[in-house]
Amino acid sequence: MKNIYIFFYFFSLFIVAENYEPFESTYEPLPPTNTIFRNASIYDGEGNELNNTDLIIKDGKVVAMGVDLPSSSDLIEVDASGKWITPGIIDIHSHMGVYPAPSVRTSSDGNEATSPVTAEVWAEHSIWVQDPQYALALKGGVTTFHVLPGSANLIGGRGVTAKNLQRNTINSMKFPNAPHSLKMACGENPKRVYGNKGQSPSTRMGNAAGYRKSWIKAQSYLSRLDEYEEKSEEAKELSYKPTRDLELETLAGVLRDEILVHNHCYRADEMATMIEIAKEFNYKITAFHHAVEAYKIADLLAENNICAALWADWWGFKHEAYDMVQANIAIVDQARNGTGCAIVHSDDEIGIQHLNVEAAKALSAGIKAGYDISKARAINWITSNPAKAAGIYDQTGSLKVGKNADVVLWSKNPFSIYALAEKVYIDGAIAFDRSSGLEPSSDFDVGIINPSKNRIEE
Amino acid sequence: MIKNKFLLAFIILTSNSVFLESSNLVIKNAKIYDGIENNSYQGHILISEGVISKISKTSIPYAEKIYDAKGKIVTPGFIAPDTQIGIIEIGALSVTRDDEASIYNIGFSIHDAFNPNSVLIPWNRANGITSAITLPRNTSSPIGGLGSFFLLDSNLDISSEADIVMIGRFGGSGSSSRAETLALIDDMLSFVSSLDKKDISSDASIDEVIDDSSLASHMDFKPRDVKALYSLIHDNLPLIIKAHRASDIIKLIELKNTYDLNLIIMGAQEASLVTDEIIENNVPLIVNPINNIPNSFDELASNINMTSMLEKAGATLMFNVSRSHNYHLIRQGAGIAVANGMSYGGAIKALTSNVAKTFNLNNRGSIKVGNMADIVVWEDDPLEPSSMPEKVFINGLDTDLTTRSTRLRDRYIKDLEKPNTYRN
Repeated sequence: MKNIYIFFYFFSLFIVAENYEPFESTYEPLPPTNTIFRNASIYDGEGNELNNTDLIIKDGKVVAMGVDLPSSSDLIEVDASGKWITPGIIDIHSHMGVYPAPSVRTSSDGNEATSPVTAEVWAEHSIWVQDPQYALALKGGVTTFHVLPGSANLIGGRGVTAKNLQRNTINSMKFPNAPHSLKMACGENPKRVYGNKGQSPSTRMGNAAGYRKSWIKAQSYLSRLDEYEEKSEEAKELSYKPTRDLELETLAGVLRDEILVHNHCYRADEMATMIEIAKEFNYKITAFHHAVEAYKIADLLAENNICAALWADWWGFKHEAYDMVQANIAIVDQARNGTGCAIVHSDDEIGIQHLNVEAAKALSAGIKAGYDISKARAINWITSNPAKAAGIYDQTGSLKVGKNADVVLWSKNPFSIYALAEKVYIDGAIAFDRSSGLEPSSDFDVGIINPSKNRIEE
Repeated sequence: MIKNKFLLAFIILTSNSVFLESSNLVIKNAKIYDGIENNSYQGHILISEGVISKISKTSIPYAEKIYDAKGKIVTPGFIAPDTQIGIIEIGALSVTRDDEASIYNIGFSIHDAFNPNSVLIPWNRANGITSAITLPRNTSSPIGGLGSFFLLDSNLDISSEADIVMIGRFGGSGSSSRAETLALIDDMLSFVSSLDKKDISSDASIDEVIDDSSLASHMDFKPRDVKALYSLIHDNLPLIIKAHRASDIIKLIELKNTYDLNLIIMGAQEASLVTDEIIENNVPLIVNPINNIPNSFDELASNINMTSMLEKAGATLMFNVSRSHNYHLIRQGAGIAVANGMSYGGAIKALTSNVAKTFNLNNRGSIKVGNMADIVVWEDDPLEPSSMPEKVFINGLDTDLTTRSTRLRDRYIKDLEKPNTYRN
């Protein structure tokens, strides 16, 4: 009898070893804070503005939204009169954790700048979970963020989407079942980094050749993989499974539509080239990032269903960022009868705390350019559109019954500089509460200036 | 004939705003934040020959031209105290950078590199910045490099005040101990303190004192360097030192008191830990109110509430930004400061008169009789970055608010039936 148990024990170990999926999310939400918000003004992330509306979140989900909803004893009642509610903000371009604060060499882990193609590296393996920046972003209403490797390389590696609920392992922060992403980069950065080392790429044409060579390798790897997987079980036993290759696994994941391409690219002509390469190798570009010149090809982006993740106004730090127009986001948004996908991103530890203000600037510029864009639509730039680009829109990014209750309660209209996030909920659990002083602090913050206080405790 | 038609069309297309060309103008019905008082008042501002000649709260002064502000907010033109406007066009393109020297060090002045045609000038002006202090990059010496004040009027005949400030830095460097840095600054100041007017009367005599000083010789001082250092001690030249850590700020204040320096501390991310010392010793600060990142081990106390804490304690504050080019975003920083407890009037002063006072920019930075008329009429609240200037007057002249950015925008939203290269 005992032997049988031992047998099963070892058998189960064997099964686990064979099927173990490493780096799965182990995220657990905080205990739910079931709440009814009364008389709120709401931007729902679907393009709608609702006034004098109640919102109920329960057991992690948005349960109801409407006028004069019935309460129940298990709901905390929050008077939201004069206040605004939006979905939790999502930053599609963050380097929190891979370029943490303090910005020091020992934890600057965002660029594996040792080879122009490093599809094998994963940003999540660099992330420092004690980065004090997550909590600051949370206070700005950010509930989800997407971390990418840097842009030194043509193909920089995999990105990761995380819940902004700081924990002491990255797996416990990872957004469950969010697709992986792949960071690619055009333009000045890769050609400068490798050109300075006297190797390819040193030009933009070198960049283009570099991507294409990689995709050719990936296609060949994928066909070997497909060939093997299509075999019968008996045939599989008689042949060898292609040896795993971390670099090509990532690229093959893109060709199989499992991994989303996020492509750093400023210039319009280069984005057009990248679209050609994507068509040549039959993969999809999910979003161009930084895309200072997106407005020059806004229709092309809309036709190809590609989002542009943009700053409201940063420019001039390099030549490919010289042609900034503040209406960039609005022009992308309005392309092809409003079918464009515009995202306001931060790429910055300060900007991530004020994405609402960045969206406000972009909206104002769009209105000045003559577009009729509502605030209710502009909020999509920092909520549902980044959710779509991260492949998690079915779960978050807008306030719809059944979706995750990622919610921000703002003191004022979030398009005002004076608006502060008062309460932030992740999966229906309060994670930041300005009035009660509830806020997370990382281990880094503990006792570092005054041993009996946390870093910014007054 | 055809040529003229095109010319006419061109003029119509490009002149979409009417400029008020007059030596005598009144801005009526303004809600004035004058940069002096904390609160606003309703009034009419008379500008004559570029100067604010009268401010009336009751009757509208007579003028050839009248601009009706219709109750909108009017402020002094904002002054950005920490910029590279005019000396860096594109950050990563060294041929467009004039912020660094290789021979001169402490006495290096960027003044003559200023490019009044830089695209940054209309861009920042259209966002309400009428003048700026442009600073060089930090030199290899812990103090050194001279910054100048420029009017952002895009005039090739530049209006400026040359070499109004020296810069420096103090803190963790990764190369040598900050204790050595402090000792070096101390020794440099001690060296120039010992000099008198005769010593610096000619380059030849300066060369002599350099030869007599082991420090000056070792540092490879040139006469320009010694003259600049001399101004710190003998002419009360403002000295901006970038420093953050609380203990570093205290050390700099000691240095200020030893040499009676006109010290301004920039960055000062831990200033809230040493508020009393800063106030008692009258040290103005240039801070970035939006920067709450503990970006180095010198900046651990970085806190979004710092600006309002310092204001309440009575500090003189000015604002800078963390990224290049958009120096106008000091008003976004000011808005964030107000959102986190700073007073509105205090924020306006930080953007205007505090800079003028600290850097002895007489006749600018506030709306009062006798000052130059650098005035902005705002569409709406100037601390909302989504609100833009409706009119920007510099020296009383109505300036062009067109920017390269708005021109590029128009190329891609108008006349789309034409190829882009044949649009405006």
